Amino acid sequence: MSIETTNSSAGEVKPEFWRWQENCWADESKDWRSAKVITVGIDVGSVSSQCVIVADGELYAYNSMRTGNNSPDSAANAFKGVELKTGLTLDDVHMVVGTGYGRVNVPFSHKAITEIACHARGANYMGGNSVRTILDMGGQDCKAIHCDDKGKVTNFLMNDKCAAGTGRGMEVISDLMQIPIAEIGARSFDVEEEPDAVSSICVVFAKSEALGLLKAGWSKNKVVAAYCQAMAERVVSLLERIGVEEGFFITGGIAKNPGVVKRIEKILGIQAVSTKIDSQIAGALGAALFAQTLVQKQGPCKPVALAA
Amino acid sequence: MSGLFDQFKTWYENRHDYARDWKARKGGTVVATMCTYVPEEILMAAGMLPVRVLGAHEPQNVTEPHIFGMYCPFSRDSLAQGLLGRFDYAEGVTLSHSCIQYRQTFNSWKLHVPTVKWDYYLPMPNQVQSKFAKTLHRAEVAKFRTFIEGVVGKTVSDDALRGAVEIINENRRLLRQLFDYRKETNPRVTGTEALYASLTSQFVDKEEHNAELRRVLAEVEKRDNSREEGIRFMTIGSENDDLAFMAMVESVGATIVIDDQCSGTRYFWNEARIQDDVIATIADRYCERPACPTKDYPTHTRYEHVLKLAKDYNARGAIFLQQKFCDPHEGDYPDLKAHLEANDIPTLFLEFDMTNPIGPFRIRVEAFMETLREDELF
Repeated sequence: MSIETTNSSAGEVKPEFWRWQENCWADESKDWRSAKVITVGIDVGSVSSQCVIVADGELYAYNSMRTGNNSPDSAANAFKGVELKTGLTLDDVHMVVGTGYGRVNVPFSHKAITEIACHARGANYMGGNSVRTILDMGGQDCKAIHCDDKGKVTNFLMNDKCAAGTGRGMEVISDLMQIPIAEIGARSFDVEEEPDAVSSICVVFAKSEALGLLKAGWSKNKVVAAYCQAMAERVVSLLERIGVEEGFFITGGIAKNPGVVKRIEKILGIQAVSTKIDSQIAGALGAALFAQTLVQKQGPCKPVALAA
Repeated sequence: MSGLFDQFKTWYENRHDYARDWKARKGGTVVATMCTYVPEEILMAAGMLPVRVLGAHEPQNVTEPHIFGMYCPFSRDSLAQGLLGRFDYAEGVTLSHSCIQYRQTFNSWKLHVPTVKWDYYLPMPNQVQSKFAKTLHRAEVAKFRTFIEGVVGKTVSDDALRGAVEIINENRRLLRQLFDYRKETNPRVTGTEALYASLTSQFVDKEEHNAELRRVLAEVEKRDNSREEGIRFMTIGSENDDLAFMAMVESVGATIVIDDQCSGTRYFWNEARIQDDVIATIADRYCERPACPTKDYPTHTRYEHVLKLAKDYNARGAIFLQQKFCDPHEGDYPDLKAHLEANDIPTLFLEFDMTNPIGPFRIRVEAFMETLREDELF
């Protein structure tokens, strides 16, 4: 895979190993123009932003990209990506629901719903109505959620004040090890012997510890294996506080990292429910599905213009 | 929050200025009090102003040499206020025993705050349910009276004590009247307003506080019930004066209708029962008040008390505001949570620190509210 680069002020070209693949997709077998109800979910997270279009209750299109330096622009850019790909404009949309930490700063949304509720609803769509426990590993926080067969949250826990065990932590390690982030999972298994987890759960300290291990002669693969294990142990401790039921589903960017997912499954002794849908869009998908329900119950909303 | 409660807000935000001003006006002594088990009646009867030590919710770097790292943020924040000279007007400092962490705050305070001229540790029994507790506590309160008489250099008469009991009882009664408005549908008093009132009663001259409470109560009666209550919450924990948190909760479609906290109801809930012996009147009241977890054994009286509050005030859910490392409250949490949930009061647990992350807390509170709402989204 190609590695994107940035140019420093000194003209130095620096590869960005952490940069994950942004993705814009539309179901080309469908035509949104024939849909009766079109709703949009916008998830502005701390690291990534997504826009999901749901047409008559079915996933139609999405755009997943890195969050910019402000929430309103990130929300608008996420929508513009889908607009460009599908030709659909806000005038064609019956309701927009915002979610994520920037949910109250989506200028064209009609309602804000927490990402906890939205991830549960999205996981219910992606993994089916047997999903009961959701682990959302986001950019800067981590949530363990219980839901019922409709995807309604019945209990939840969030990590406290620390980005350890989250996507941003993995990005830091990716850059430090100079391993493209999409390859970290596979390479973490390319070790002769599974190492113990790095001892620190703090990203800053884990980074120092990883450097120390490299100096001690560890291979990069072994170091990322130790980091993946640490991340898995950390999120499992969160899950154990709330309890894990069968129908276990993982959302968020880290769900794409088999190095963490398989280790979580091994510790828990439970296989996560698989899906073909991008796990990173779960929040926005849930938001769009809530919008669909609200339109059916309350009628369509008047479109709000996209910020200039 | 409307202007009706502005005097309480002004007192709260300028509490040190208030105490200095009181000292200048009255010429009395100000005493820093730690924990709401301090029998304020004794201090008041001696012409002193008891000022409860509260934190400032700001980062500080002065307590590390003096208090253990795993002690609660309130004990650290309180000590910081002393070390930073914020209570330089307080000549005395006194603690009535409750938890060991706050005792360390007191010990460090009396050693390291240079403006302290005298200190008094009142060894109140924790097992207030013991048949010996009241006898012991009466004796300790009598000793405290004698000590204070030594400080002021004059007798603190029984009549002065009865006068103080009367004024403090009125304060308790007025606060309960104010809190009663929170039982209403679309309450005329919000949780933020009520907290300003109960917090300020812990450091404002009680006669002045009573006068303001009477004024506010007369005006509250004229208010309408137009503020949509949203979801009704109870808060549970130790001390909470994080008004930014309260305001956040009440800005997202909720109302905090009651609490079991020492910054709120536990401080003023029960009046002193008037007895012939004024020391017994004062001392027994502190043994009989709604218990803090440090004083709630072997029988756990709190659980039924908290549930009754939740039911009486029609709370839809309860939010535990758990001071990090507060062992007594953490010890109660699992059973109290189970008790509430078994009685259809769902709970949310938030860990409070010296400074609190309002944004992440908002996500938790809103998500909790979403779980409580009707199935409008499904």
